[in-house]
Amino acid sequence: MKKLLHMDFLLLAAMIGLVAIGVVFIRSAGAARQIAALHSAWRAHAATAALGLGLYVALAMVDYRKVLKWAAWPCFAAALLMLCAVLVFGDKVYGGRRWLWFFQPSEIAKLATIALVAQLFGREGARTDFKGFLAALAILSVPVALILAEPDLGTALVLVPTILTMLCAVRVWMKGLVTILLAGLISAGALLGAVSAAERQSDPARREAILSHIPLRPHQIRRLRVFLNPELDPSGSGWNLRQAKLSIGSGSIYGKGLGKGDQKLLGYLPPSVSMNDFIFAVVAEEAGFRGSAVTLALFLVMLLSSLRIGAACGDDRGRLLVAGVATLFFCHVYVNVAMSIGLMPITGLPLPFISAGKTFLVVLMAAFGLVQSVALHPADQHAAATPN
Amino acid sequence: MLFLGAAFTLGMAVLAVELWRLQVVDVADFKENQRRQNTRTILIPGMRGRILDRSGRVLADSRPSRVVVCRLESFAGKGGVSNIACGVEAAIDRLSSVLRLPRPPSLTRERIVRHLRESGVLPLDTWRDLDDVTLARFAEHAEEFPGFDEIVRAERIYPFGSLAAHILGYVGHDRPEHDAAIHFWEPELKGRAGLEARYDGYLAGATGEKRVVVDSRGFKPQILRDATGEAQMSPPADGLDLRLTLDAPLQHALERQLKGVCGAGVVLDPRTGAVLAIASSPTFNPNDFIPVLTSEKYRALADDPSHPLLNRAISGTYAPGSTFKPITAIAALDVGADPEAEYDCRGVFTLGAFRLHCWDRYGHGAISLDRALKESCNTYFCNLGRLVGTNAMVRTAREFGIGAKTGIDLGGEAPGVLPDAEWKLSHGGDPWYPGDTCQMAIGQGMLLVTPLQMAVACAALANGGCVYQPYLRERDFGMPPPAPLRRIHCAAGDFERVRRGMLAVAREGTGKRVLFRYGEGRERHRLGATCAAKTGTAEVGTGETKRKNAWVIAFAPYEQPTIALAIIVERGESGGLTAAPKAHEVLASRFGEDVP
Repeated sequence: MKKLLHMDFLLLAAMIGLVAIGVVFIRSAGAARQIAALHSAWRAHAATAALGLGLYVALAMVDYRKVLKWAAWPCFAAALLMLCAVLVFGDKVYGGRRWLWFFQPSEIAKLATIALVAQLFGREGARTDFKGFLAALAILSVPVALILAEPDLGTALVLVPTILTMLCAVRVWMKGLVTILLAGLISAGALLGAVSAAERQSDPARREAILSHIPLRPHQIRRLRVFLNPELDPSGSGWNLRQAKLSIGSGSIYGKGLGKGDQKLLGYLPPSVSMNDFIFAVVAEEAGFRGSAVTLALFLVMLLSSLRIGAACGDDRGRLLVAGVATLFFCHVYVNVAMSIGLMPITGLPLPFISAGKTFLVVLMAAFGLVQSVALHPADQHAAATPN
Repeated sequence: MLFLGAAFTLGMAVLAVELWRLQVVDVADFKENQRRQNTRTILIPGMRGRILDRSGRVLADSRPSRVVVCRLESFAGKGGVSNIACGVEAAIDRLSSVLRLPRPPSLTRERIVRHLRESGVLPLDTWRDLDDVTLARFAEHAEEFPGFDEIVRAERIYPFGSLAAHILGYVGHDRPEHDAAIHFWEPELKGRAGLEARYDGYLAGATGEKRVVVDSRGFKPQILRDATGEAQMSPPADGLDLRLTLDAPLQHALERQLKGVCGAGVVLDPRTGAVLAIASSPTFNPNDFIPVLTSEKYRALADDPSHPLLNRAISGTYAPGSTFKPITAIAALDVGADPEAEYDCRGVFTLGAFRLHCWDRYGHGAISLDRALKESCNTYFCNLGRLVGTNAMVRTAREFGIGAKTGIDLGGEAPGVLPDAEWKLSHGGDPWYPGDTCQMAIGQGMLLVTPLQMAVACAALANGGCVYQPYLRERDFGMPPPAPLRRIHCAAGDFERVRRGMLAVAREGTGKRVLFRYGEGRERHRLGATCAAKTGTAEVGTGETKRKNAWVIAFAPYEQPTIALAIIVERGESGGLTAAPKAHEVLASRFGEDVP
């Protein structure tokens, strides 16, 4: 147990701070309606966080190399199995099968994929040539395909850059990475270009014709259109974005006070979004810029602490693990906050530690447990290899 | 790692800068947009003022009406609009059986849905004007009906029913007048006709304003049921009482005389022009228009061939007949005609192709002005008119206020017609014939006047030549008495001569029945004051539609007149037989009758 005294307490403190923010604002968001399940949501969040903390400590104690060695493949296989199972047995919610009993396999798959990639490419003598690149793509493509089949575009979209960043960290066939990066940028640009071209069409028939050629689901196209033109359909697809921006913007510097956010009290931000994907809007409205800046600062503290651990670690596996977890974490934070303030199209991604979402919370805490493990188990014999 | 750190820091910085822009730089816009989104302004009308007669008798009042309302937000838990409407409907039906009242026919499903969509924050009126028994039933079961409340709304009441209905007018429910961009309003009583419309701004008071916070569905949020949900921006101010010059007993007497006939009457105070009574018959009861004037009721009134909604006293135009003769006499005396000059009445007046019969077909023989007025000799006045000419008559008639709106504080006044050569040419293209001058001299032909104009002219005859603007709103306390609009151009002695002539009319001429009431056994009841009068029987229409309108103008007491009146009865027998007794009764209600 003495080992625990050497862990990165800044990382832990920032995490606990974020979880606390989550508990407080889930409670605030849930109080807006007289529904028992919403009133107790904050307790569930706290209880899950306690469970996650146990897992966090347990994983921190164990040498991450052993974990990766023994658990990476089985976890990945299990995650794939569950992803298959959710397609068959999953409960249909909001047009997608994402839930298996009480958890979301896609969240587990994220960590499992990161762990596997870290295990495979962090070994000594891992292949970093074209073949290694193909192998990595193969590993990545299976969970991404399964997640897209749910469908859960958001999760798939954060997993891909996360794994690519990890591959980049160990310099696996950089040409391919650059190509993929460019391809991604070009296709995103093309998509947005096509949608904005359609938006500029005054003739509805021609607009529909252009939109029908875009290989996305109708609700995704709508989200892109709303992103480009926030005033479009303010009572339909544009509602959440408009209301989230109103919440955030009206929060001013000091906020309206805990539990006093008009937007959620009056039902403009219903609890289904206010305690999940749009909880940042509640934080920003009730705590103001002060609160939202503190929250962002805590996220940044976690990111930089993790990266410091990664940099200090002399082991490729540890470095890869930390890079993967940090990137995944950053993607979530950035995408979620950016969509709440209209910088990005709306994607259903939770805000780490704060949004109500039990699977994601446990997975995240496990992931940061692994990061702590990297901090607690320095590489003494493998200090030589230095990518990065 | 360094690269990732830089990238993450940059990402967070981008978010922080954007948040700063939203939450600090643009905060005012967002706050304003949010306020616009979740507050609604409701206008609340002030209590409408009363209308009083000159002694403070209440002619129009506001009374409390107890209304059971449904607060729709209590049903808002039930999902979409149609579900809520369903729930409200079911509750109303249950309440209907408890109150033992049928569901109001206007409260249809569509009405509820429309109210939900358009004004969810306002309560929906279900039953209006509930009596105590029903209210007790409601109070007993109120707990079973959450969302239903009893509130008090103001309704209009006219305590005297149809008394002065044309003057008072009536009210409807409408949106209060206000400049601000508002969302909803509590209905305000708004004057639609008569004085209610003319002095609406005075009676209505000032509209108040209330802000209500609404939730995303447009309802008052249940979670904010306390004071934070509503903020009074400005309280409404009650309207002022409108005091009239009308004298309710005199008005009542006048209306009783007109009951059952088509006609009108106006009673003025010749010293000021104040209207003491003004009536038009047939009439209507403005209470029937409350709480709403249904289209059937309105149709029935509007389609009635006797036009009960028409205010004949100011909008009806009639030939004045012989009541115009005093004006002709003044015009003649003013241009220097000799009153003593005699004219030989042979029962018919001939001027070229123009022939006119005197009512006395055997003729009055040699007759001068005094007797011609008393006997109302047509041929004498035809001749007199021919002598003085159209222009002199038109000038004097205009001075009396004929042919122009009097300017009374009521809408819908007709100007009447005071024809001259120019007018005739532009209305039909015929030139002015000498016969037209003769016709005008006896108040026939194209000449048209309103009963109010005749009353104003009569007041001027009564007070020695001062023309006042008639008015209904009592002057504020301490204001100087109104100044006359103008004085009739005529020597005082000549004026007195015509007044004396009218005195003779009432004493022994065609207007005897103004001064005397003849009982069964020919006994005479004399009016309690000396009075002067002039009757008129105007023939209108030709052939089948030929009819006589009976006129009388009168003033009393002769020495110091305090009352001047004009009465017309459509399709009467003659002025002396039909209209004069009515004038007698109206004057008797003020001056009484001498015991014989």
